[in-house]
Amino acid sequence: MNIWGAIAGGFVGTLVLTTMLRAAGELGLSRMDLPFLLGTVFSTDRVRAKALGYLLHFLAGQAFALVYLGVFSAIDRSGFALGALFGLLHGVFSGTALVNVLLPVFHPRMGTPLSAADSQPLLEPPGFLMLNYGRRTPVVSLVAHIAYGAIVGGFVSLAS
Amino acid sequence: MTDDALSLRSDGYAPIRDYAVIGDGRTTALVARDGSIDWLCLPDLDSPSVFAAILDAERGGRFQLAPEEEFTAEHRYEPETNVLQTTFTTAEAVVRVTDAMLLPAPGLAPVRELARRVDCLGGRVSMHWRVEPRFDYGRGATTISMRSGVPVATSKQLALALPSWNAGEPRCDAASIGGRFDLTAGDDALLVLAAAYQEPLVIPARREVEARLGATRAFWRSWAADRGYEGPWRDAVLRSALALKLLVYAPSGAIAAAATASLPEQVGGERNWDYRFCWVRDAAFTLAALFNLGCPHEADSFYWWLLHASQLSHPRLAVLYRLNGGADAPEETLALSGYRGSRPVRIGNAALEQVQLDIYGDHLQSAWLYARAGGSIDADSGRRLAETADLVCRIWREPDSGIWEVRSAPAHFTQSKMMCWVALDRAMRLADTGRIPSAGAPRWRAEAAAIRAFVERECWSEKLGSYVRFAGGEELDASLLLAALMDYDDAGEHRLASTIEAIRQALGNGPLLSRYSGEDGLAGNEGSFVCCSFWLVEALARGGRCAEATELMDELIGLANDVGLYAEEIDPTSGEFLGNVPQALVHLALISAAAAIAEAAP
Repeated sequence: MNIWGAIAGGFVGTLVLTTMLRAAGELGLSRMDLPFLLGTVFSTDRVRAKALGYLLHFLAGQAFALVYLGVFSAIDRSGFALGALFGLLHGVFSGTALVNVLLPVFHPRMGTPLSAADSQPLLEPPGFLMLNYGRRTPVVSLVAHIAYGAIVGGFVSLAS
Repeated sequence: MTDDALSLRSDGYAPIRDYAVIGDGRTTALVARDGSIDWLCLPDLDSPSVFAAILDAERGGRFQLAPEEEFTAEHRYEPETNVLQTTFTTAEAVVRVTDAMLLPAPGLAPVRELARRVDCLGGRVSMHWRVEPRFDYGRGATTISMRSGVPVATSKQLALALPSWNAGEPRCDAASIGGRFDLTAGDDALLVLAAAYQEPLVIPARREVEARLGATRAFWRSWAADRGYEGPWRDAVLRSALALKLLVYAPSGAIAAAATASLPEQVGGERNWDYRFCWVRDAAFTLAALFNLGCPHEADSFYWWLLHASQLSHPRLAVLYRLNGGADAPEETLALSGYRGSRPVRIGNAALEQVQLDIYGDHLQSAWLYARAGGSIDADSGRRLAETADLVCRIWREPDSGIWEVRSAPAHFTQSKMMCWVALDRAMRLADTGRIPSAGAPRWRAEAAAIRAFVERECWSEKLGSYVRFAGGEELDASLLLAALMDYDDAGEHRLASTIEAIRQALGNGPLLSRYSGEDGLAGNEGSFVCCSFWLVEALARGGRCAEATELMDELIGLANDVGLYAEEIDPTSGEFLGNVPQALVHLALISAAAAIAEAAP
């Protein structure tokens, strides 16, 4: 169990997660686009926002992988299955609090349930479980996060 | 309620014409001239109702506030605001109620807050108030209690507090909260409806409420002052702009077609629909109006919302979307008695399931308007717009349910085909100016020519001297006026000019127009569609007939209610309002017509 395993797992896991979300968008399963949501914190230029968003998303992927590593180390266990369980919790947390509640709070261009007639946000809020981005969004997000967690867990385990 | 107040009502229902709307960009409330708030959904405009007396006078719920003595009443908006003033005159007093939904301000405030301030302007008056909360369209179990001297009503995730000052001792029973109080000249009182959703209630202090009321008033004045329109009928245009602003759901930027659900198109009839969704059809009019009014931020917000909402079904478009961007609106029937017995009372809208080809024209026209006004279309959005144009090439030959969402069998509606032509024409314009990929342009050009050939061959009647409602038919359709507004052809061109005249003659009733002749799969009749009359005004203006357009516009402006609002329809015989209110499309059409006359006038 070492940091390089977590970094490698975080990179590959984020790659897979991002690809799955993008594919879900192309297949009409969800309108969720995490790089776009992150990038528009800093830019209204869609192209620039997406490029920046991918960078931020990969950095976030690394950060979460290191958090996973910390917990794996604390309990002295890791592996694909445990990683998948962490991914499930991570996905539930994302849908219920991280993207749903926290992102609109600091995102300067995203509406919140408190946005009123005196504001014109450019992005609709995600809603509980990000359901505003399509009914299948929670499933897509959970599956993608489970895959991410399994990959991080697996890489950390293999790097032991 | 006094006998005189009751005389404003029939069987407990106020005329739809009697309602004014207040709101905060998240939800709206309808206030009747007799001071009763008969419609309020919380926390959002498309949430279930707390007050729905407009749909069921017995069980719907309301917030009454009026003199105990006999009175006459009139209402008006404070100039250039969405703050409503209702003035009651009794034999001995004049009292004014100021109603507003308050906008957030720095500090802790309720998530939704409705203030009702009472000022006695002269004499002595006894007032009474009564709140009957009926959560979830009357289906929700309600608990009413006093908490630290403040009445509170709760149901599941929603809670309402009723703090009041100088408004008497509140009394609660199992189903309502009420009180009475006396005022003499110079006295005032304040009642607040403070809502919480999925969180603890915030009980505001009077000083904070008064400050937010002042700030809300100042915001609306400032917003109105920033509108750039200086053309004719400025008051009506500005009131329309303020009404539309209330229909904009601020958290997403979407605009609801109307504030209400299931107000009938015919009293006692079945044409009762939920309009608390955003129709793609309204998009082009919305953007045009927002640009005309100098609202670039609202235009940006709306276009971004449209781009995002339409991703899920891309390249196909849903007919309508939820205000939060969702594409589900299952239709269900409520156990409410309906406005003056007009059943069924529907929420949700099954039109979502229909194929309506005209919306592709509205979508591409929106993109064109947005780009022409300086909006940037990024590569990804451009690719999607081009794919939408490709889709139009594949599907324009299919029958559809048309702009009027008929529930009879799909047909080859002329207006749908014309809007498919508009879609391809705007795609070519966008490609020609480098805003979207141009690889498909030759095909778009060829298919646009094929659509035009079809319309000119199959959808024109020599006998009527007009384009007809659908291919091969002999019926007229007021939506064909949109051909002039959407630049399908020049409004002065022979066939279009002749169609405008034929529609005016055959579908007109005074200044009003029916939508179409012929069947639509529903029983009963309906009133005249007000937006069609404003389309006629614009078509006349675009065809160079400015004097006629101006005369008709003057007549139509006179048909608004006393606070400048329009419902979807007007009964041409009685002048009564019918259908949902205020309707965005009417107010959008009014703004567009006024701007067209201003542009065309010599």
